[in-house]
Amino acid sequence: MANRGYDVVVDVDTEGDLGHTDLQEDLEFHPSNFSEAQPGNKAIPPDTSSFLPGGSNRGQSSGSSKRFLWSLNFYAQFFDVDTAEVLRRCHSAIYPRANFLDILDGNPDLYGPFWIATTVVVILFITGTMSAYLAHHGKGHYAYDFALLSGGAGLIYGYTGIVPIGLWAVLKWFGSESANLLECWALYGYSNLIWIPVALISWSPITILNYVFVAVGFAVSALFLFRNLYPILSATDVRTSKILLVVVILLHAGLAIAIKVLFFA
Amino acid sequence: MAAMMPSSSTANNSNPYSFDHSNSQNDLIDPDDATLDDLDDPLAQASSSDRAPLTGNISSQPGRRDTQNYLTSQIGGEDRRAAASTIDESVWETLSRDLRAVWEKMRQVLWPKYLLGGMLVRERGGGIAGAERGEGGGATGAGAGLERLRGAVGTWPDAETVLQGAMSEGLRDWDLWGPLLFSLLLSTLLSWRAKDEQTPLVFSGVFAIVWIGEAVVTLQIKLLGGNVSFLQSICIIGYTLFPLVIAALLSAFHLHWIARIPVYIVLVLWSLAAGVSILGGSGVVRNRVGIAVYPLFVFYVGLGCLCYIS
Repeated sequence: MANRGYDVVVDVDTEGDLGHTDLQEDLEFHPSNFSEAQPGNKAIPPDTSSFLPGGSNRGQSSGSSKRFLWSLNFYAQFFDVDTAEVLRRCHSAIYPRANFLDILDGNPDLYGPFWIATTVVVILFITGTMSAYLAHHGKGHYAYDFALLSGGAGLIYGYTGIVPIGLWAVLKWFGSESANLLECWALYGYSNLIWIPVALISWSPITILNYVFVAVGFAVSALFLFRNLYPILSATDVRTSKILLVVVILLHAGLAIAIKVLFFA
Repeated sequence: MAAMMPSSSTANNSNPYSFDHSNSQNDLIDPDDATLDDLDDPLAQASSSDRAPLTGNISSQPGRRDTQNYLTSQIGGEDRRAAASTIDESVWETLSRDLRAVWEKMRQVLWPKYLLGGMLVRERGGGIAGAERGEGGGATGAGAGLERLRGAVGTWPDAETVLQGAMSEGLRDWDLWGPLLFSLLLSTLLSWRAKDEQTPLVFSGVFAIVWIGEAVVTLQIKLLGGNVSFLQSICIIGYTLFPLVIAALLSAFHLHWIARIPVYIVLVLWSLAAGVSILGGSGVVRNRVGIAVYPLFVFYVGLGCLCYIS
């Protein structure tokens, strides 16, 4: 995210040459165009910055820095993390100390949400099958239920994918400036992490234990969402933010109940 | 070949290389005989001096074929592996050639020598030496095997070794026969043991999981900055499904569930070790290797568990 351009504005203010025509040159993506003719860059129209991050390079034709919407490089910026960073984010999602958006540090990734969701789907399928097998035990041959896998994938991917979009759209509708779709996705994706240990221990056929485990999972992830969404939601007026929070928590409770009913019945 | 033709046409002797000069002088009546002296020279030298560059040329043939096999077919418009025209061979020959190609590629993916991007080959010096030291100390074969295993575990691949691995030459010439074959086998075997009313669902589901999973894993590696060829990576992941096909086969034959656990863990690890070789030379940054391997891990473990519960 080197080309957001905000730093440049600060620089210009301190140097006091606001309104100078060099402003556009500072906004350019300098190290990427050495293969092209240098003087030609002065002719770049000033309105090349679009609403997309990275879209400001659109006018340049040097191959490596092109980040079109349909190219792979555009999406690679959403996966700009390394192993230690992912582990750190996972750790702080389970043991929340600071605000998670501070930990994301303006660089929300999609790696965590996607692969955490995939892991949750796989583990829920396995433990759900194990739980059904234990409930079925002793009554002849047991054949697993493949619909559990497709159902789990639909539930988890759907919840993690669609609810943040809805939340983001509602926040935009109520005029919140700080709403960011990627951060919503990252928040919901990392909040799924608690379901992995919950699913791993709740394969037993003891009903009351399963209720407790799923309730713990719900409590942890709902608290995580509440803590991190509250600053964003409170940007709207009080009544709307309360309604939104209740809706978010209710939807999350719906997810928890669906997990309990689908997999650990 | 051009040197052979005048000798066989002119001299009817049993030995075509013994060029009888007087006999051929009588026979040659066509206007081409003016060039016979020119043809005579390479023929005379063929037995003495011209043979050496000829054999040199033949021995350099495989090297040339390797470079040419890379994404190009050897004969334009012909089958990749056919040396000559394939129009008059039987269907079985055509099929067996493809099957042999699949087998050869599978061997290059799954043979332990090539696992983990050929790491074991490069580490062989230390590993084998350790094993021989173990045997020199009077240990039995099992002890030597244990020593070798410990050597392999001791050289557990860190990110560096995985990245340094290079895929073998044969894999540059990817195909999708193996992935298709193994995904079909896996789907069939797994759907065989499914509930009766869910057989089509399981078949289509497993088939979709395999292909979408391969695509997603490859895309993820590319998104993390790996410079891999998309279809080549799909080819390798498809070939690494072979251990899982074994697992599915064992499940289809009602292996006991306790015996399944160690066997399937070994098979999944085998697949994973072979699948990691995609990353060899891909240019993934070193501290991202962990998150690049994790999708592969989820993919194999998920399919392995599907085999396990079948």
